[in-house]
Amino acid sequence: MRKEHTRLLLNGNHAVAYGVRLAQAKVIPVYPITPQTPIVEKISEFQARGEMEVELMTAESEHSAMSACITASLTGVRVFTATASQGLMLMHEMLHYASGARTPIVMANVNRTIGSPWGFWPDQTDSLAQRDTGWIQYYCEHGQESLDTVLQAYRVAEQALLPAMVVHEAFYVSHALEAVEVPDQTIADRYLPPFDPPHRLDPEIGESWGNTVNQDMFHRHRHDLGQAMERVPGLAREADAEYKKLTGRGYGIIEQYRCDGAKLVLATMGSMAGTAREAADQLRSAGVAVGLLKVKLFRPFPTEDVRKALQGVPKVMVLDRNFAPGTGGFLHQELKAALYGMENAPSVHGYLAGVGGTNVSPANILELAQAALTEGPAANSVWKG
Amino acid sequence: MLQFVVQGRGGQGAQRAGEILANLFFREGKYVQAYATYGGARRGTPVSSFIRVDDKPIRLRCDIENPDIIVCFDPSLLNAALLKGTGAHTLVLINSAKPAGFFSHLGNFRAVTIDAKSIAQANGLGRIVNSTLVGAVVGLLGEPGIDALTSVVADMSPVKQTENVAACLDGFRLVAQGGALHVAG
Repeated sequence: MRKEHTRLLLNGNHAVAYGVRLAQAKVIPVYPITPQTPIVEKISEFQARGEMEVELMTAESEHSAMSACITASLTGVRVFTATASQGLMLMHEMLHYASGARTPIVMANVNRTIGSPWGFWPDQTDSLAQRDTGWIQYYCEHGQESLDTVLQAYRVAEQALLPAMVVHEAFYVSHALEAVEVPDQTIADRYLPPFDPPHRLDPEIGESWGNTVNQDMFHRHRHDLGQAMERVPGLAREADAEYKKLTGRGYGIIEQYRCDGAKLVLATMGSMAGTAREAADQLRSAGVAVGLLKVKLFRPFPTEDVRKALQGVPKVMVLDRNFAPGTGGFLHQELKAALYGMENAPSVHGYLAGVGGTNVSPANILELAQAALTEGPAANSVWKG
Repeated sequence: MLQFVVQGRGGQGAQRAGEILANLFFREGKYVQAYATYGGARRGTPVSSFIRVDDKPIRLRCDIENPDIIVCFDPSLLNAALLKGTGAHTLVLINSAKPAGFFSHLGNFRAVTIDAKSIAQANGLGRIVNSTLVGAVVGLLGEPGIDALTSVVADMSPVKQTENVAACLDGFRLVAQGGALHVAG
């Protein structure tokens, strides 16, 4: 099949904006925040040039922006917003509301350190701290993946009726200019049908949301939400496969890179997967059998896929550019839980690397891999730089 | 892979200089990756722009620790952290009216100075030195061609296209033809 696209030099944030344009989101409530701002700036340019028919609303806070997203989504239109760090923190209450109201909002979050102290550095703690809010979460390695994932996220979110977060890191992705293939609108239209939910707020229909319920109704509602989340890995696999048929690009919900016969697998998410890929190649060239497991879909956690990928692998080294005081690296925690009870499960080494945005080079990863190959695993995450 | 670090202060155009170089090499058909980081997000605080250029896709997502070229917009930014990964192979282009030898005590690298501030002012650009400095960088590299560069500079100048192209050409010519430019190392 002929691949129909335009190749542009775009930063990761602008790539997201192109994805949103292709998805033809109709309502975009925003409260701009660094380093997310270029996403909504570009959308504003699209609107000003008449290339996007959209209601771009500026709210007085991120909390209000998310509230507006929920209401707009309930009227049956496609909704987008973007935020980062402090903004996501302020949205927290409404994130739970969005999933409870079953609104398939897609939001881009640009990972940035959370104050205090103040900073603009790449660190995934902001979005990972929202892991229990009922949102689907995708982590992206580069701008192309972010654009492609916005389209995939809409498809999955609207099928599951759950909100989805597309996440990439500050600077390394958000501000990195790279060649990005922007699919033609016809491709996006074939991939993503118009949003037409079974229920909506419409005076003609007369439905309402958010009523007071009894315990049994609440119980059933939470159970339904859980069942919707359980459908997501399958929907996301299918959405990725269909996208690949149309564009030639697919990512999987996890990716295994050079894992055949690996005695050590590096596991990470987001931009660090790129650097880890380079490190795995260097180790393989030096005769050390090392592979990479990139976790793209973090919520729901792809437990089944991860267990299958790590079957027979003796050791896993987790690189977490995020940190929860008292529990450690998020991926480390999740991976340990996912492997619990598995026969011949690998030993899991959790390393905190790049927390706060510190640099992690291939040379650093080679050193860590040597450490993992010689050390025994610790129950808790270990600070490594 | 060719790796650049452009170091400036907020408001000087270091980020835009990185974008100009990225666009230039992108148009030449190369794979590029360029991003900037800024600690303070305000004028006057340090801004670093990192540019990688290669013939194959670039996968690294980390800082450039061993640059081939450093473009320094302000000599006060030539600190140990910036110069840590430099060596005899590193070319450090400094915006300064002083001779390059003035900076040779800072390390074992090839220093080149250019008075970009005066060139920018002579061209009516005030303290925006990025167009002059990218001209000098391409002059030092010897590739891609100056016509390709001036076309990118013209396209990417939000205002004063003619002045920016003129300053870019001045920077290029000083290097290519040997002008009031100082080389040491």
